[in-house]
Amino acid sequence: MSRVEMRVEGGVIRPDPVDIEVDGATVTAVEGEMLAAALLAAGVLHLRDSPRAGTPRGAFCFMGVCQECLVEADGRLVQSCLEPVRAGMHVTRYGRRP
Amino acid sequence: MTPTDSFDTAVIGGGLMGCGTALRLARGGRRVVVLERRGLCMEASGVNAGSLSPMIKRAALMPYALRSYDMWQNTREWLGGDIEAHRKSGLILAFTEREAELLEKMMRERIEAGAPAEMIGGNRAKEIEPSLADGVILAAWSQMDGHGNSSRTGHVFHHAMTEAGVDIRQGTTVQGIAKTGAGFEIGTDKGDVRAETVVLAGGAWLGRMGQWLGVDLPIGCKVNQMSVTERMPRILSTVVNAQNGLLTMKQPPNGTVVIGGGWQARGDIDMDPGTREIIPGCLTGNVQVAVHAIPAMRQARLVRSWIGLEALTPDMLPLIGPLPGVDGAFVIGACRGGWEIGPCLGEILGDHMLGREPALPLFDPGRPQPQARWAA
Amino acid sequence: MSDIAELIVLGGGPAGMAAATAAADRGVDTVIIDENAAPGGQVYRSMPASFRIADREALGPDHAIGDRLRSALESSGARTAFGHRVWSAAHTEGGFRMEAVWSGGRAEWNAGRLVAAPGTTERLLPFPGWTTPGVIGLAGATILLKAQRMLPGKAVVVAGAGPLVMAVAASINKGGGKVAAVADLASPGEWLAAMPRMTGRADLLVRGLGWMRAIRAAGVPVLFRHAVRAAEGAGALEAVTLGPVDREGHPKEGQLRRFGCDALAIGYGLVPSTEVSRLMGAEHRFDALRGGWAPVRDVEGATSVPGFHVAGDAGGIGGAAVAEVAGRLAGLAVARDLGRIDAAGHQQEAGPLRAALAKADRFGATMARMMRPRPGLLDICTPDTVVCRCEDVTRAEVEQVIAAGALEFNQLKQWSRCGMGPCQGRMCGEATAMLIAKHVGGREKAGLNRARVPIRPVPLDQLAGTFAYDDSFWESDAAKLSLNVLPDENQVSR
Repeated sequence: MSRVEMRVEGGVIRPDPVDIEVDGATVTAVEGEMLAAALLAAGVLHLRDSPRAGTPRGAFCFMGVCQECLVEADGRLVQSCLEPVRAGMHVTRYGRRP
Repeated sequence: MTPTDSFDTAVIGGGLMGCGTALRLARGGRRVVVLERRGLCMEASGVNAGSLSPMIKRAALMPYALRSYDMWQNTREWLGGDIEAHRKSGLILAFTEREAELLEKMMRERIEAGAPAEMIGGNRAKEIEPSLADGVILAAWSQMDGHGNSSRTGHVFHHAMTEAGVDIRQGTTVQGIAKTGAGFEIGTDKGDVRAETVVLAGGAWLGRMGQWLGVDLPIGCKVNQMSVTERMPRILSTVVNAQNGLLTMKQPPNGTVVIGGGWQARGDIDMDPGTREIIPGCLTGNVQVAVHAIPAMRQARLVRSWIGLEALTPDMLPLIGPLPGVDGAFVIGACRGGWEIGPCLGEILGDHMLGREPALPLFDPGRPQPQARWAA
Repeated sequence: MSDIAELIVLGGGPAGMAAATAAADRGVDTVIIDENAAPGGQVYRSMPASFRIADREALGPDHAIGDRLRSALESSGARTAFGHRVWSAAHTEGGFRMEAVWSGGRAEWNAGRLVAAPGTTERLLPFPGWTTPGVIGLAGATILLKAQRMLPGKAVVVAGAGPLVMAVAASINKGGGKVAAVADLASPGEWLAAMPRMTGRADLLVRGLGWMRAIRAAGVPVLFRHAVRAAEGAGALEAVTLGPVDREGHPKEGQLRRFGCDALAIGYGLVPSTEVSRLMGAEHRFDALRGGWAPVRDVEGATSVPGFHVAGDAGGIGGAAVAEVAGRLAGLAVARDLGRIDAAGHQQEAGPLRAALAKADRFGATMARMMRPRPGLLDICTPDTVVCRCEDVTRAEVEQVIAAGALEFNQLKQWSRCGMGPCQGRMCGEATAMLIAKHVGGREKAGLNRARVPIRPVPLDQLAGTFAYDDSFWESDAAKLSLNVLPDENQVSR
């Protein structure tokens, strides 16, 4: 499910890719990158379901405001737009309905 | 002044007390106007934590609390709208020997007065509320507890009063009242209104309203902080209270957890509602009690805290009845737990004014009062 | 942790960085706080520390400006508290107090002066399908592109108002991505008419024209006077429909064009972030041409609250160039007010800055005008479109409570839950206020969503920290204050 081509080449040199776990699946990401961006690049757009209507939602503002990108990372609720990727981190889309 | 500005009764203050009285009077055939400077139930009536917990009420108020408890459960019948009341069981928790001692004493009096509660140990409490922390020494348990959504109060009363023919004037500021022979002339920023009788129903602002008619009402003001978390998975099945009153916590069906308990904030009746301030130490204190009682609350995120002004009197009992020395003027308000107890209070004042025998006694606004705690 | 400073600067964007630098350079004990991990704000957002810069040229001029501001801040001696989420901003006897949470727990600062530079949020107007994953804000797209060097999608539609539309489209194109289409609310004529007012910042004007040229050259369909009519996709975005609108955003008869895409970057302008200035009780005024409600300020950013300045877009939209100069003026004013610089010295430095501010502001005001609220866009929002994303409140539900008697924003919020979710109305606030305004006759009458603590959601765990619970718990000042109003039978401690 990796879409590495979404990362713009040139200008910067990224560290070597690392693996993180998203709902049990392995996703390739870049250490230090914004978690919301890493999920987007991996094609993981649907982060949660809206509370009343249950419609799919994904990261919107990428700046800490909209609260749509809330996930559980290593046991804590975090806004994935404010959370850096760490190798081996466990991400759960806790707000998705079964 | 046009005939449309002439009424049997003018209710000043569109909170729950005023709306309840207006509704009762209108249904009794009176022509009623409600004058509200902002929107209906935007202050304490609409921002309280929505507790429906008779057992945390004072013994003297118990019959009123029980009566109103049933009314809140049946709003579709008497208001034609849903206040989202839910019946649940409730707990009052004691974590220290001292708290247990006080809880025991406090509940003995309340249970004698009719509080539907019993005393249980910590283990039993944990069976009832599995999220509870260890370390509860003693608890009071009531199966007649629950909560409603106070923010819907204005909405449902607006609907019911409109149906009953009440003239609702939101955004209308009363500037003064003059007694004129048989009635009253009420000056507002939107023109004068005339009424045979007036009801002062201004909550924390009652003291100021009494001044319009030259009467000193013994009104103090609590500046209460409340908070809510974002929606989260079901964590609470009961209403959780602390012995000393500084925690109330419940989780409505939408999954948010409402945390109250009357921790104080900075504000007064003259401040614009937008500039009242949460005191950080009070918010963290409230949150600490919450996570002490329910450790899983640590995972929750707090999204909003707000502040409501609660009127109180020196003897902690409401003022409901004729305004001393002013024929045709009445007052209603300053009831601790006023939202929960409010529905029957509007009815009893309304009934009194309609010349009917109220279901429960009024609270004479002119009774002698002890020295006020807040003045000490 | 409790800390005392002379000046607190809230916000690490250009205005905040410049204010903190100007004050600290003159010996003011300054602390600058921001929830992001590093200074920069949105426009000059820094890249992850794990990225190594290989080619500065390729990163564009904003990175260089950001680095200049960052290094000036670093050498100024201002203390920094990045990665700190401020949840409470309050008055105290002697000034201002900020409370924050961070990975290490709680933090508190007290200072006699406060410069708030919290920037903006985007004006978002709902359209059918706008909650579909893959639909993102224009500012969000900018952050992805600039700070993460990431494309928002494989095929992106870029739509909205103001300079960010072309900037984002050009940046995607430059980064090797595909722009499926561009929809700009403005007409070419509107842009042309604005150009004379933009010549004061010829550099920025030239840059903007460059974006436009690059997009044209890439063969991207550019639809002026168009807006997004609908987004669709099951689970994730698949297509966007664009349609013509008039000057005020009303949808017009005409050809609808549907573009397949996996991302839509959209924003109808910027709105000042006023939570802090509202919490401080500063006087606010509504100015549609500056983004909406903003605190009333003088040229140094001083508000109606003594000791409290607002700098940058939070005081009215003007852009990053304006923000930097305004921040510097605010920082200098604080240094002067604290006696670290005399009137003559202040005048010598502030004089040229005021001239620069005026010049930059002509450009900024022109951009802000391009991003003004266009109420016609509300007509694209159908009755069953969700307005409040957090609480799933639809337009029909919002209008039902207006019809039922709700007079203004705060009452509507109580009755409908619109704006009551975790974003606290930051996403739906503009649209809701515009809807109310339509019914009550004007934004002033529609009221202002009351600012509340916490300024951002805070985990209870971080608020509570570690503590001991016993009878002495109730001996704290806060507990005693709260217990003191209760009847005797509740009292734990005496």
